[in-house]
Amino acid sequence: MRTRRLWVVATAFTLIAAACGGDDEVTPPSGDPIVIGIIADLTGAFATYGNSLTRSAELAVKEVNAAGGIDGRPVQIIKEDIQSDVTATVDKARKLVESDNVDLVMGPIGSDANDAAYQTVVQEGGKLLFYTETYEGGKCDPLYFSFGAVPAQQIRPMIPILQDEYGTNVMLFGADYVWPRRSFEIAKPIIADGGGTVVSELYLPLIADDFSELVQEVRDKQPDYIFSLYPALWGAALKALDDAALLDGLGVGTIFLGDGDYLGIADLAENSYTALPYFTVAEGAAAEDFLTAFQAEYGADQFPSGGEGVGAYDAVWMYKEAVEKAGSTDPTAVAEELVGLSFDGPTGKVTMTSSHHLEQTINLVQARNGQYVLVDSFSDRDPEEACDL
Amino acid sequence: MVALLVLPIISSDRFLIDRFGRYFLFAIFALSVDLIWGYGGMFTFGHAAFFGGGGYIVGMLTTRSGWVLPVPFWMALVAAVATSALLAVALSYFVFSGKGALRGVEFAVVTLAVAVIAERLANAGGSVSGGQNGILMQSRLGIPGVISLHRGYGFYALTGLLLVATYVGLKWFLQTRSGLIIRGIRENEDRVDLLGYEVPLIKRRTFVLSGALAGMAGALFYVHEGIVSPTAVGVSASTLVLLWVVLGGRGTLLGPIIGAIILPHLTASLSGTLLDTWLVVVGVILVLVIVVFPSGIFGFLSKARDV
Repeated sequence: MRTRRLWVVATAFTLIAAACGGDDEVTPPSGDPIVIGIIADLTGAFATYGNSLTRSAELAVKEVNAAGGIDGRPVQIIKEDIQSDVTATVDKARKLVESDNVDLVMGPIGSDANDAAYQTVVQEGGKLLFYTETYEGGKCDPLYFSFGAVPAQQIRPMIPILQDEYGTNVMLFGADYVWPRRSFEIAKPIIADGGGTVVSELYLPLIADDFSELVQEVRDKQPDYIFSLYPALWGAALKALDDAALLDGLGVGTIFLGDGDYLGIADLAENSYTALPYFTVAEGAAAEDFLTAFQAEYGADQFPSGGEGVGAYDAVWMYKEAVEKAGSTDPTAVAEELVGLSFDGPTGKVTMTSSHHLEQTINLVQARNGQYVLVDSFSDRDPEEACDL
Repeated sequence: MVALLVLPIISSDRFLIDRFGRYFLFAIFALSVDLIWGYGGMFTFGHAAFFGGGGYIVGMLTTRSGWVLPVPFWMALVAAVATSALLAVALSYFVFSGKGALRGVEFAVVTLAVAVIAERLANAGGSVSGGQNGILMQSRLGIPGVISLHRGYGFYALTGLLLVATYVGLKWFLQTRSGLIIRGIRENEDRVDLLGYEVPLIKRRTFVLSGALAGMAGALFYVHEGIVSPTAVGVSASTLVLLWVVLGGRGTLLGPIIGAIILPHLTASLSGTLLDTWLVVVGVILVLVIVVFPSGIFGFLSKARDV
């Protein structure tokens, strides 16, 4: 009896050891692939962000496949270049949905293209759309998910720091379209609650010819700091302020200037604050691993920009978990499993809220001596989107 | 031509059929440009103002509310064609009449300005034009509950018929007295003028016809897309159509149709397969075609046949 019991125990241990050791040998995925379509801005005005998004998604897919795929099935990406163009977005989104019959569509970058993709992929095609770019928020649909940052997440942590350092009078300066306008509507109560005063609110065309209006406004209203959502030509706007000798002592905060964009205008953006989910100076082992894996794949001088890249990386992994929980790729079933799902991504824990926007970490950096320095990291930022699904 | 007719029979890819429907509308747009440039000698840098403008008119009339708005799509389509024609009338009075009548480069510069202004207006139009994000449209082509012409085969048939009608219509127009005079104006405007023909009137007539055609094609195109945004009326969209015309063969009727199908199809296919190099490949093909066949693909083919 005794020997026999020992034998049983020994066998059990051997089996457990074998099971644990088995983790190193993942069964390679097999069967029909799960197909992710990416409408990617690989060329044109948004090429930097489109490539960052696509590369991060491809990195995640490679890792997912190495870890056994989704439910044992391999994952495949079909990417289509939408050329930073709305008409091409509609055409390519329709191709992915109708001709390639993909399971999920990711992208694009521009918020007009997002409108177009939403209409084509979700409303017309009945497929899931994962949008990973920083945007104005406000979209609310059972099949639409945002993995990027939305205004309240970035604005709330940044305003008090700018106010402490520079003073309470803020100028809101934005490009004349929906993202800056909606962001400023969200910023105003946050500024007022903190005892700040909006002394000026100015919008110029996305691609402005001259910035004399901006210069005049800063001269007249004497803000302590500028909160800027002027993405495309921010360097030119800063240059105009610098030429007018107005930049000294003027505080600057943005929510768009990721590492790549910053490097191009580092001499003008000194002391600027920026809040985004991801910077290369983000802390934590996961952030470092992500950067290392990204650079191993694409080269040591390459890095994912701001938010859309890390959002796409999170999105692929969370899609895997949701599909496995749902036991199918049915869009509605996957959407239900996504809500409430958490994932430990490069920037820490992220959770998909019932508003279909992502609760996540926002990092705040300041440009000091020509490089970004991490000022603070704010975990579990609520997207504060009113949508309730 | 035959290949296009049998395409729906040999291919079951509904999306591909749909894509060719789009090219047919591009082809009508290209024909409208060829009419004034290829046949009338009036080089335009701003014709997307009519094509995209048609889309904007339909978008505004079918989605905005107040007064009689929103109106049904077919009414908006008529309005889009009428507005494009009126814009062309206004513009042509301004540029073709009187002592300061513009020609050649001067005319091209005015059309360029039209496209720039149109794009700015679209961008700055606030809640009327939707600003940078443009207008999302829910209208569907067809008769609700009876027949859908919005996507796939229905759309292909609708646009195909319109293209054939445009082709036949223009072929007829070019044989009329106006059509012959406009071709004369291209060759030597002064001589036609001295012979006593009413040059400004004929130029206006042709320009208005061209504007209305572009407006119609654009209205249908952007409803099919479901969105129209500022780049639709801008300079780059206006230059793209020139490439289609040049590639296919300026001053012919089949050439622009060929160009407006081949180049967008090449772009759409290659930008999905040669992700990193497609722009270079398309560029090289364009340069080669233009160097080897200066009169365009169709121009070359028809010359080869004549010889």
